[in-house]
Amino acid sequence: MTVAAVTAYAFSGGDTVASAGGTVAGVGTVALAAGLLFRFPVAIPWAVMLAGSGYVLARTHHSVVDGWAAVVGGALLLAAELAAWSLASDRRIHEERPVVVRQSLTVAALVVSAALVSFVLVGAAAVSATAGLLLTAVGVVAAVCAVAVILRLVR
Amino acid sequence: MTRRATWKLSAYAALSGFGLVAALVLGRPEIVALTAPFLLAVGVGLALSASPRFTAEIAADERSVEGDEIDIRITLVASTPVDRLDIFVRLPPGLELAAGKQAQSLRLARGERRELELTARAERWGAHRLGPVYLRARDPFGLLVAEGMLSRTPEIRVYPREDTLRRILQPRETQVFSGSEVARHKGEGIEFADMRLWAPGDPLKRVNWRATARRGDVWVNESHPERNTDVILFVDSFAEARGQDASTLDLAVRATAALAHSYIGRRDRVGLISFGGILRWLEPGMGTVQLYRIVDALLDTQIILSYYWTGIDVIPQRTLPPSSLVIALSPLLDGRSVDALLDLRGRGHDLCVLDVSPVPFTRRPDAAVDSIAYDIWILRRDALRHRLQRSGVAVAEWRESTPLQAAVEEVRAFRRHARVARV
Repeated sequence: MTVAAVTAYAFSGGDTVASAGGTVAGVGTVALAAGLLFRFPVAIPWAVMLAGSGYVLARTHHSVVDGWAAVVGGALLLAAELAAWSLASDRRIHEERPVVVRQSLTVAALVVSAALVSFVLVGAAAVSATAGLLLTAVGVVAAVCAVAVILRLVR
Repeated sequence: MTRRATWKLSAYAALSGFGLVAALVLGRPEIVALTAPFLLAVGVGLALSASPRFTAEIAADERSVEGDEIDIRITLVASTPVDRLDIFVRLPPGLELAAGKQAQSLRLARGERRELELTARAERWGAHRLGPVYLRARDPFGLLVAEGMLSRTPEIRVYPREDTLRRILQPRETQVFSGSEVARHKGEGIEFADMRLWAPGDPLKRVNWRATARRGDVWVNESHPERNTDVILFVDSFAEARGQDASTLDLAVRATAALAHSYIGRRDRVGLISFGGILRWLEPGMGTVQLYRIVDALLDTQIILSYYWTGIDVIPQRTLPPSSLVIALSPLLDGRSVDALLDLRGRGHDLCVLDVSPVPFTRRPDAAVDSIAYDIWILRRDALRHRLQRSGVAVAEWRESTPLQAAVEEVRAFRRHARVARV
């Protein structure tokens, strides 16, 4: 649902580029549905990436930073979290109620926090005169962190 | 427990890295906004994850009888919080879940102790090793998972359900110890046997005063003593016919347990020979301990495929004492066991055969040629039984649908009316 909402939002631009972006995001939605249907975890990150790419493609001609990007980011994370939960759960395993409640709260807290962080980033990039520098600095730090995590995993 | 990353961690990290690089290349702040949630999830998830520490133990009733319910308890004690712990208890074939959850997810707080209870029903006799118990602990965000297995699990010994026998087979010969079987020879006992003239040394209590008064001489009563017997239970484990729920070996083991119980109850000495791919034996003994030995040995009985042509020469002499009654339980499917039975009879053993019929476990084929072959197989089985009977062996066919007592009575009738064959 959340990925479909992102797709619809990408389509809402109305022009050709927005339509192309919406189509890419739609492919992501289909990939997510297929991944859930066939219980194929690899499809989930590809679906999220396609949906995100579609949204970015739809925003190509807009020079102003989109304030809804934080919400879109949170929606993509929510979609990924719910998909992962769906794939991890098995009907044959009886889940106790506290487990379900705690996981629901964890996902909700994570998505809200992530959306807030994204909102702060988008706001900083939009209002600050030195948005480009700030964005670059944050991006570099984040990229380094991501690479460090990947290296730790590989090791 | 082995700790590893899930696909989620790899996927989130890859999305984060790809997104941030793309943001730098394209110079679009929106891409950072899309990527930041995943990076946050990875960072917070890894920061919050800790290696789960808990102990798990499984306990169950060690002995049970077919059809009974077995309580299984899993005790979990956590020294660190475990956000989500998946437990799966594998039940071996022969045990069915009666109550409780075989697989469940739960949460453990620090220092919490939980006891999970399952109830299994023992569907088949045997020594069943419970488990393994699979454990999987996830961190709050599901990025890392620790998996392990509980290797030390209890063994549940399920004893076969026994039929109750009102009358059992009487051996032709008795042994020297006192028991419940009236011996054929005369001696000190209760059962009246005959009268004879008094001889020096005869006790006064044996004088038959009525006969003495009528005949003028002193006559004494003679009696049959009550003696015990040696019974050898011979289980053929070369081959079996198996259906969905039962097999000829299952029936044979149940019948063996019932016979052992009945004979031990009469103070007889009972031995066991499991004749098959693996030869097992128990020398004759008496008492409850021997009964447990026999039943325990039966639990380990199984069909082992073997092409080795073995005979009764491999059976230790002391396991087959002379004058013992040998009761064979066999589906008469393997030529080696049939030859061994004929050999036993040829060596003068008092032999009876309970033919645990494999016919109910088969189905008559529809095709004409196959059905003829099936009929020939049935006829050959009849011929085999007649061959054994001509050798002086009492044979009765026993099917699952009929009580064991009926087959035992058939053997008793044969032994009562048939002449002893000289072979």
